[in-house]
Amino acid sequence: MATFELYRRSTIGMCLTETLDEMVQSGTLSPDLAIQVLTQFDKSMTEALENQVKSKVTIKGHLHTYRFCDNVWTFILQDAVFKNEDNQENVGRVKIVACDSKLLTQ
Amino acid sequence: MEEQGGSEDNEPVDLSIHPSGIVPTIHNIVSTAFLGCKLDLKQIVLQARNAEYNPKRFAAVIMRITEPKTTALIFASGNMVCTGAKSEEQSKLAARKYARIIQKLGFAVKFQRFEIRNIVASCDVKFPIRLEGLAYSHGAFSSYEPEIFPGLIYRMKMEQKEPQESEVPKKKKNVVLLIFVSGKIVITGAKVREDTYKAFENMYPVLTEFRKVQQQ
Repeated sequence: MATFELYRRSTIGMCLTETLDEMVQSGTLSPDLAIQVLTQFDKSMTEALENQVKSKVTIKGHLHTYRFCDNVWTFILQDAVFKNEDNQENVGRVKIVACDSKLLTQ
Repeated sequence: MEEQGGSEDNEPVDLSIHPSGIVPTIHNIVSTAFLGCKLDLKQIVLQARNAEYNPKRFAAVIMRITEPKTTALIFASGNMVCTGAKSEEQSKLAARKYARIIQKLGFAVKFQRFEIRNIVASCDVKFPIRLEGLAYSHGAFSSYEPEIFPGLIYRMKMEQKEPQESEVPKKKKNVVLLIFVSGKIVITGAKVREDTYKAFENMYPVLTEFRKVQQQ
């Protein structure tokens, strides 16, 4: 099954990558196993966001730039407002990368 | 944005061009150009902003700019279609801007063969029209099937000015008018705005002839 690697750049993904790097460097982990862990991370993130996150967020802003290539949408919003049930936050500039989840099941 | 084509309440209408006193408003212009080189669409979509490329669905990059507000279809062959402009000049300016964008990405672009392909305009004669009567008396040009489309489709053959012998048989100039009961008219198919205006002026007396007299 294919995985999306986009969550690796999140804080939690970066931390995991760093830790795995250290472990590979020190010889406590084989590179193959490290890759396997990262792939599992990709799967787990997708699954967790799909099944465990119930809250909904709406994002509204001025669309500055968009792109669609290789089934990935990229949006750059200016003066965006992130809203969920009980609070909202203004962001001056935000980049959204969206992949088609249908591609995962193929 | 400035209003192109004008409307009857702004400037005085030139009655020698618009005897009806109504100036159709141009809404869309489609033009084409050739950029003079083959293009790598993948490279374009990855580098340019506001571009879409989904080769499974359509074999061109779809790119948009906001000034003039237009959309371009850019093909690997170097051909380009520019849509959405409100005037001929704006269409050309937009096409040039797209060419410049592609050029900046490193392609050997030469802007050539720019051509206006279609002009879409509309206007309102402000009286209702008996489409059945019009369709009946202009049967050769009209197609009116209200179950399929509520408007009357009128295919007007435009006469050629000064037929030149030197030229190869010209493409037939046909302008299509969509005429609605409400008196709203859409004029499409012209390559020059004079033909749009001419087609409407040709039609106007016929429309008044088939004006619907409202009974209470």
